[in-house]
Amino acid sequence: MEQVEYFEVECTEPTGGAYYRRIADVVLLDHNLIRAIKKLHIFIDPAVPIFVAAGVTKKLPGIVHLRDFAEVTATEQKITISIGDETYLAPLLQILWAQYGKESVDQPDRFTIILSVEGQSMETIENLPVFDPSESIYKDLIYALMVIQPEGFKVRRQWYGKEKFYLVASEDTLPEDVEELVREKFALMGESL
Amino acid sequence: MNLVPVTYKGGIYRHDEIIDLIEDLGGYIIQKHVLAQEVVLQALVPKDDIGLIAAIGKPLMGEITPSPLVGTEIAVVTMSLEIHHLPHASCDVAEYIRRFGAKTNMVGLARGFGKRIAQMNDEERDVINEHDLAVYLLGDFETCIEQKFQVLRRGINIPIVVCGGPDKETLQRIIDPPVDGYVGNVGRFMHRTKESEELDKLDEVVDEITRVLDRRREEIAKDPPSVSPARLMDIINEQVEEIHDVLSPTPVTVQMTGLRVKLPYDSYAPVLREIPVEEGVTMGEIADIMPSRMRDYILIRIRPFSETNIMV
Repeated sequence: MEQVEYFEVECTEPTGGAYYRRIADVVLLDHNLIRAIKKLHIFIDPAVPIFVAAGVTKKLPGIVHLRDFAEVTATEQKITISIGDETYLAPLLQILWAQYGKESVDQPDRFTIILSVEGQSMETIENLPVFDPSESIYKDLIYALMVIQPEGFKVRRQWYGKEKFYLVASEDTLPEDVEELVREKFALMGESL
Repeated sequence: MNLVPVTYKGGIYRHDEIIDLIEDLGGYIIQKHVLAQEVVLQALVPKDDIGLIAAIGKPLMGEITPSPLVGTEIAVVTMSLEIHHLPHASCDVAEYIRRFGAKTNMVGLARGFGKRIAQMNDEERDVINEHDLAVYLLGDFETCIEQKFQVLRRGINIPIVVCGGPDKETLQRIIDPPVDGYVGNVGRFMHRTKESEELDKLDEVVDEITRVLDRRREEIAKDPPSVSPARLMDIINEQVEEIHDVLSPTPVTVQMTGLRVKLPYDSYAPVLREIPVEEGVTMGEIADIMPSRMRDYILIRIRPFSETNIMV
C-alpha cells in the first residue's frame, strides 16, 4: 500500500483491525485498484455493528470519444468508421444501434463500420462519447469494498462521484444521519465530502 | 492388537506387495491414491510391525510416516461459501488437515455470517453431528464470536475445535461453556497461506485436532465398539459388490466409531443389516444402520461392547 497516500484502518478491536488492514491490502491489490486510490480510511465497530470505508481516488482517465480510437471518413450517403482499437467496439456498436437503428449500421469486417445516414456531420460522429472509464472503476471499487467488509453486513449505502467514494454497511438498519459519520472520516483524511 | 494410523508413500512398482503385507499383518488399508508413478496408502497397521513394513518398503522407495488423523472424518465448518471465506481460509485449513490422513468435508452454512443474524438449521446441525470432530472457522472480531458462537454450537454433540482471529486466551475467555480445542490467530484472511509462520499456524490446527481426537480415542477405548470400523469396511468391500461401482473417492468412509457408506439407504440398508460379520453375528446386531443426512448415504454407528456384549 505504499502507493496510497493515506491508508488507515480504525477499529475498536486492535487485533481485528490489523487483520482487516491486511484483508483490504490484499483485496485491493488483487482487484488491481491500488493505482486508482489516493486516500482510504476504513472504520469498523463490530459492537454497533458498522463498517465505513471512505476514500479519494486519483485523477481518473477521461471519457473516451470515438476520435480517440477510430478514423472517420464521410461521403454524402454514408460515413465510414475505421476502428484502430477494438477495446471499445462493443459499446460503440450499442450506441450506434440505439441512435441510428440496426438497419443503418453495417459492419462488413471487424475493423469497419459503415453508417448509411445522410446529412450527418463528421464532427458529431468523431465527438461521440463512447466509454466512461471512471464509471467502471467506481463500480469495481464498490465491489472490492463489499468483498473487504464483513460478510454479514447486508444493509449497505454507497455513493461515488467527484473523485470521492464511500460505503457504509451494517447488519441493522442504518441510521438517518450516517452521512455525519462519513463526513468525520473524510475530515480525518483532510478532505470534505 | 494395537493398530496405529500411518501413511505409506512409495513407487507404484510392486506396491501390491505392501498392501498384501499390511493385510496379512492384520492391518487395514483405509484409502489408496495412485498419482502417476507414486502410490499413497493410508492405513491402520499393528504398532509392532511398522519397522517390518518400513524395511520391506525400503527397496521399493517407500517410506512410512505416522498420520494421526487416518480413519477420522472431520467437518470443516465455514460461515458461508462466499468469496469472503473461500478459498482462504476455509480451503487452506480443509486441505491441510487432509494431508494428515483425515477425510474432511466442508460444511458451508447457509446463514452463518454476521453477528446478530447468524443461524444454523437442523440439516446443517445433523450433518455436522455425523462427523468425528468439527473445526469451526470463525472471523476476526471477538465481539462477533462471543455472540454468534452460542447459536452455531447449539445441538452439536461432537468435539469442537474453534479457530478465530483473536488469540487463544481471548477465545478461551469469550467461549462459555468451553469447547474442546482452540486455535487463535486463524481468522478471516484473503491470501494464500504459504509463509512459514502461516504454515506453523496450520500445524497448530492439526496439533489441536490430534490432541482432541487422542482424548476421544482414550474415551472410546474404555468402552470400545463391538467391531473395528476398519474391519467393517473390509467386510463391506468384500461382500457388497456394488460398492466398487461408486465413483466417490472414498465409497466407504471410516470414522472413529462408525462408517459412512455411499450407497442409497432404501435399497442397501436391509442388505447391510444381514451381512454376517462373523459366524452367527450380523451387522444389524452390532451396529445401527441409519440414513445419513448427507445425500441418500448410509450412516453406520457401531454399538459399544457394553450394549451388545459381543466383541468381534
